[in-house]
Amino acid sequence: MTARLRNLAPGVALGLLLIDVAGMVVLSVARPQFLSTYNLFVTGRDLSILLLVALAQMIVLSLGQMNLSIGSIGGLVAIIDSGLMVRYGLPVPVALTAGFVLGIVCGVVNGLLVYWTKINSFVLTLGTSYVFAGINLGITHATPFYHIPNEISAFGQARLGPFPIMAAVTIVLALLLAFFLSQVVLGRQLLAVGGNALAARLSGLPIRRATLTAHAISGFLAAMAGTMLMAQLGQGQPTIGATWVLPSFAGPIIGGAALAGGSAPILGTVLAMVLISLIDDGLVLVSADPFWVQFLIGALILGAVVLGRARLSDIRTLLRISASSTHQAGSRQ
Amino acid sequence: MRRSLSFGSVSAGRLAGGALLQQVALLALLIVTAGFWIYFSVSASGFTSDFNLFSLLRFAAIQIVIGFAQMVALSIGDLNLAVGAIGGAIGMLAGWTMQVLGLPPEVAILFGLVAGMLLGFGNALLITWTRINSFIVTLATASLITGAMLIITHSDPFSRLPDSFTSFSETEVAGRPISNLVLVTLGVGVALFLLYRNLSLGREMLAVGANRRAARMSGLYVDRVVLLTHGLSGALAATAGLMAISADHTASPSLGSDWLLASFVAPAVGGTLLSGGLVSVPGTILGGVLLATISNGLLLVGIDNFWITVFLGVVLLVAVVLDRVTRAAGGAAP
Repeated sequence: MTARLRNLAPGVALGLLLIDVAGMVVLSVARPQFLSTYNLFVTGRDLSILLLVALAQMIVLSLGQMNLSIGSIGGLVAIIDSGLMVRYGLPVPVALTAGFVLGIVCGVVNGLLVYWTKINSFVLTLGTSYVFAGINLGITHATPFYHIPNEISAFGQARLGPFPIMAAVTIVLALLLAFFLSQVVLGRQLLAVGGNALAARLSGLPIRRATLTAHAISGFLAAMAGTMLMAQLGQGQPTIGATWVLPSFAGPIIGGAALAGGSAPILGTVLAMVLISLIDDGLVLVSADPFWVQFLIGALILGAVVLGRARLSDIRTLLRISASSTHQAGSRQ
Repeated sequence: MRRSLSFGSVSAGRLAGGALLQQVALLALLIVTAGFWIYFSVSASGFTSDFNLFSLLRFAAIQIVIGFAQMVALSIGDLNLAVGAIGGAIGMLAGWTMQVLGLPPEVAILFGLVAGMLLGFGNALLITWTRINSFIVTLATASLITGAMLIITHSDPFSRLPDSFTSFSETEVAGRPISNLVLVTLGVGVALFLLYRNLSLGREMLAVGANRRAARMSGLYVDRVVLLTHGLSGALAATAGLMAISADHTASPSLGSDWLLASFVAPAVGGTLLSGGLVSVPGTILGGVLLATISNGLLLVGIDNFWITVFLGVVLLVAVVLDRVTRAAGGAAP
């Protein structure tokens, strides 16, 4: 069944690709400054960060769980990074490594809580998100750490023509994630657990390792997103990540992920985040009320969900036919 | 459907052992809350002053209704992430109705409740029509509602609300440090208690929450139950919004943006099952009181507001984990 579901992903991706291309064409015709080097750089940089946020959610969704603490982890890591560098004068590599380890630890804590208690990941990560965010604010008292080392803020501004250097990090991580999920045994097992946890348990798959791995990856990607936003802003802002819940779900959901798990549409997520960036940038270029972003993302999620409903009924028909013709219809690979 | 013989909780025909467990949990919550009251009375100067008790109970009254709005959705096994968005939007709608249209508060309240219910109906229709998880639907509608509210109001607050409206929350009941809003909350609580205990709709909601498939198989109009439940949740969120702007003397566009944690803490601490089929109205009331007590008391003993957030997050985690552990130990696994 998951194999079948995945076969439908290219359809979503193709649709999103067409919309993205159309959006770019419309924007470049209606607002030529869309193609200006600076605009492309700024848009690409925002996209690089939010795409990591969306992938951090996608990897947990592929397990049939969720992570509401992505933004809180990103914010906590950013202020720990900047705090270690500014307050304690630690070298950049040491501080960044500490931040990534912290992100992974936060993710593992989420994973362990979900695995041990078997409680809905929604409410558990809602709880931990307030714990992480509260620690962040308790340390900083909502005051940023200014004057982070130059090499970090320079990285945030670095570009090759219109191409932001930090996009390279996102591209590499997205490719690694795609490789992990399609070629590495643990990645395949992760999707299998997400597709059918009971079948996975009965066939002896390492459910605990899959759960912890997915949450650890989510924590690491959140940490990376927080670090990159810190570099872009040039300071350790305690509010980093505060608005990430909506985009984190919008990307995978619009990209075709099933909340029940078993699918990890990386390409769909990428194209969905491109669409959101286009909307965001388009609204800036036509100087519309920024509140429209929130409204339109909500509308997009609903639109995608409604379209998905149409797709799902197709799958049901398909499954009914194949289930009657062969018993292997539901087996994977 | 069997009626469980418990005072506090109402469940869809669960084992008596589960009901007993619920009683014990409620008692434990009562003891914990009383413990905090005693601790703060001794160590936080001014905790027992009439002024502080008045504002603490008024805050609790609002938190409880926020919790009710979530509890109702949880009772059918759904979530409503739009509780804060609806509460905030209705607060602004009522502010606009009174300040700009100059209509009397009664009309604004009626408008607000109806609009809140309609927004809830909208959630329900999307859920039943698309068959998509209520989480995603209400995440999207929350963003739509808040986005639309901010676009329409340009994020300008309404701060000249009529005196008759704002003084309602300031009035003390019978000379005690108790706001009128506390009475509103208790009234809503009694109504919800009776709904789940005595009315067939309430029993149907719990049946849908306990096992939606079985409920549908046994002939319940599940979609109708979902519709009415989300309508009620929306109306309760609207009630909380109206209470909040009366207490704040202003309808602010940021109203509701921080309700998410509170909406889950009060029901979860009070023993409402997150997966549906089991609610506790007295538990949610106690949960809201505990939440308000902790926020108020920790502030008075000089603990930073930010650390209180950590504390409330931990309270939520401890509550759900303890609930799971005791249920497993009591052999009444959900």
